[in-house]
Amino acid sequence: MRFILTTFAAIGLLGFVVGTVHADAGAGKAAFAAKKCTGCHYTDGPAKERNIADQLAKKGPELWYAGSKFQAAWLKGWLQDPKPIRHLAYNSLTKKNAGDHPKLSAGDAANVADFLMRKTTSEVKAGVIKPKKSLKGKKIFTKKMPCTGCHQSASKKGKVTGGFSGPTLVGVGKRLNPDWIYAYLKNPTHFKPFKAMPTFAGILKDKDLKKVAKHVSNLK
Amino acid sequence: MKKLIKISLLAAVFGLAWLINGQTATAAGAEETFKFYCAQCHGLEGKGKGPNVTKDFPVTPRDFTNAKEMSKLSDNYIRGIIMDGGPSQSKSPLMPPWSKTILDVDVNGLIKHLRGLCKCKGKAG
Repeated sequence: MRFILTTFAAIGLLGFVVGTVHADAGAGKAAFAAKKCTGCHYTDGPAKERNIADQLAKKGPELWYAGSKFQAAWLKGWLQDPKPIRHLAYNSLTKKNAGDHPKLSAGDAANVADFLMRKTTSEVKAGVIKPKKSLKGKKIFTKKMPCTGCHQSASKKGKVTGGFSGPTLVGVGKRLNPDWIYAYLKNPTHFKPFKAMPTFAGILKDKDLKKVAKHVSNLK
Repeated sequence: MKKLIKISLLAAVFGLAWLINGQTATAAGAEETFKFYCAQCHGLEGKGKGPNVTKDFPVTPRDFTNAKEMSKLSDNYIRGIIMDGGPSQSKSPLMPPWSKTILDVDVNGLIKHLRGLCKCKGKAG
């Protein structure tokens, strides 16, 4: 008797949990549409851009692999307090980022984050990259193929330097999934068929791409 | 005979239209390619003042409108720098290798675009 009751209780609890998660994602999808996020971001993959003009026509980054790219806690927080990730406005080399990305309430942010974190791609394999100090990765990042030319990053003492055309890498260790960083370096066109960042796969060895991913994911 | 003339005329018109359209597309493509990839450091006008050139940027990107300097460079040298990066020609690694990003045919267009910016020809070689 006790076994039967326990089983029913477990099934009921599981149903409640699954139902709650689905409701959140559904509410997130609805909030994403209601807040007009779809006006700047698309969430259905694969990548749609067929040429440079397609890329430049976009008002914001594609989010069809957001769940593979971002860390959930960061995404939930950022949606409530969206500080600029790019110094310049998206797709612009002349206009400063106005920092006017809409803010969501805590509830909407949790639901939208839940919805977006379900947008994943099998191109990103889990558990490949662990954030770790990598001298070789750092050397490539700063000297051999200086990522700092286009991306800002912070020194140990907190001094921020670097170019403005790419997204900032200050705080990237909390923002991006380390495995996504490697997957993007390895096969960038899967995510962005047309991007202003050079493709380094085929120029750098695979093991070096991994070292760069380790270094980047370890940046504070 | 009249039919043959009509067909030839039509073919000539279509051929001419294709040629004009093709040339226009190539020219626009070169400028688009330049603005998308190169302008981030070299600037939209090619004067070496792109948004990445902050006070911390350790080198001065080439000014493509400087005819005197640009005429010292051969097209092959420029191609090498674009495809294999600055270090391939003893220049800064801040000029990255674009060989896995930009197609050969688009580099041809880019070089023509740069020659248009400097209004100069390169040295042979």
